[in-house]
Amino acid sequence: MAEYFTARGLPVPRELQRSPLTDWRRLSVVAVAILVFYIGLRIVNPDLSRANPAYAANVILELFKWDTSILTPQNEFETFWNTAEGLMIATIFLGIVATGFSIVVAIPLSFLGARNIMGGHPVTAAIYVLVRLIFTIVRSIDVLIVVIICGVLIGIGTAAGVVGLAFHNVGVLGKLYSEAIEGIDPGPLEAITATGANRFQVIWTAVIPQIVNPYISFTIYRLDANVRLAPILGYVGGGGIGVLFFQSIQLLAYGAAGLIIFMIVITVAAMDFASAQIRRRLL
Amino acid sequence: MAAVLQIKDLVKVYPSGTRGIDGISLDVHRGEFVVLIGLSGSGKSTLLRCINRLVEPTSGSIVFDGADVTGASGPELRRIRRRIGMIFQQFNLVRRTSVLSNTLAGRLGYRTTWRTIAGRPSAQDVIAAFENLGRVGIADKAYARADALSGGQQQRVGIARALMQHPDLMLADEPVASLDPATSHSVMKYLEEINKKDGITVICSLHFLSLARRYGTRVIALKGGKVAFDGKPADIDERRFKEIYGEDAVEVEIGPERSTPQPMSATDAALLAMAEDTGHGPVPDIKT
Repeated sequence: MAEYFTARGLPVPRELQRSPLTDWRRLSVVAVAILVFYIGLRIVNPDLSRANPAYAANVILELFKWDTSILTPQNEFETFWNTAEGLMIATIFLGIVATGFSIVVAIPLSFLGARNIMGGHPVTAAIYVLVRLIFTIVRSIDVLIVVIICGVLIGIGTAAGVVGLAFHNVGVLGKLYSEAIEGIDPGPLEAITATGANRFQVIWTAVIPQIVNPYISFTIYRLDANVRLAPILGYVGGGGIGVLFFQSIQLLAYGAAGLIIFMIVITVAAMDFASAQIRRRLL
Repeated sequence: MAAVLQIKDLVKVYPSGTRGIDGISLDVHRGEFVVLIGLSGSGKSTLLRCINRLVEPTSGSIVFDGADVTGASGPELRRIRRRIGMIFQQFNLVRRTSVLSNTLAGRLGYRTTWRTIAGRPSAQDVIAAFENLGRVGIADKAYARADALSGGQQQRVGIARALMQHPDLMLADEPVASLDPATSHSVMKYLEEINKKDGITVICSLHFLSLARRYGTRVIALKGGKVAFDGKPADIDERRFKEIYGEDAVEVEIGPERSTPQPMSATDAALLAMAEDTGHGPVPDIKT
């Protein structure tokens, strides 16, 4: 094979070279990966000594013996909104409300975080860098951590859940929205600017028509994600059905916990279906 | 003839250090049809964009109809810009909105921000939009989405949009470079018509010398950001051509013109009459 090239005084293409070096490199990559995994396992040191297979099997069975009493008010002080289905509905709306708040904040910020809108002048460019930095920092703090902190700051409950979820979501939506603006065709901006329109008219006429669809798409994506996240927020002080789940586990009420898990699965599946349908119809 | 545009010692240095324009001085007189020619990168686009300050010149001065363009800022600059129409190689329409909305955008420089947001163009503007679309033969496409139109039609919307500004000067940046030869001639004829009938001065960059000879009253050739030739189209002979385009260049012809600009069709006239009848309500944004 290689003679074809050597006979003509040409360098042998890499594809035909099988040197020990390239083989050694490939082998070493695999070896390093295995080594990292092994060292990691030693450091983490998973301790299975307390695991009890018989007990685990029993709990799994218990999870399927659904305790339907949580679907009705437990005493004369409780209303529909204390039942599992009431809390589930409240939790879904917690996700929706948090998304709503974050949209209202993220849309104006997204224009300040778009390079093609803010570039050209040192002051606006500085604002752009600052806004993008804020998005990155906000986004990098996990939702659960934000909700825990909000629980401390404003008290455990749905308020902490809404504020925490909205806060994190401003960072995510802001970045997605800003990138949608940066992805638009610059031609119309140039043309509208040339007509003598002011900056605001340029944005209104040339930018907004181009970003409506990506904005809708990103918003549905985040709404979906937030409604999925909402049930777990109760576990860290964010209110909603997560609180009931947390209590059920603490009280060893696995029948109730199992039913709640089932309700969450149904909700997430429904949300999945609904958001896919909305996207398909709208876009 | 009064000079509508006076450019003095214009220089544009890009941040990369490239001298896009390297000392250009020229006067453009009212009613001229100036064709800019030159190789890609010779500074044609930059020169055109300096005239309405889409590109910020590094130094030099531009005076448009007595107004200092280079020194203007904010509202003053926008008042100058609205009297300078511009059309583009890629048409630069807002693709997702209707032809009518795109045409009405030409009035933005005369409209308050509030009216823009409210989306209620004035009755006169809507009538003017239909008239201008009629002039370029596409009034029947007013409610179509801009991206549903062919390239030639989109460029005609671009012309209609620029005409909405009641410009004294029309800048055209490679207006036919994305179009086939027959469509090119039709677009060029509309430019010729607004130049001759409306007396709007045109500065148009072109790739084809044959188009420059056919439509230009004056040809300015740029080379390396400098003026390499400035004179009558007929004066560009073989030697000058090689000076502008380089020793290896061979002139290629664009096909002969075939179509002529259509006068307003019966449909257009009917649509215009309808527009005038309907009490000039808000213009719906038709999405197809």
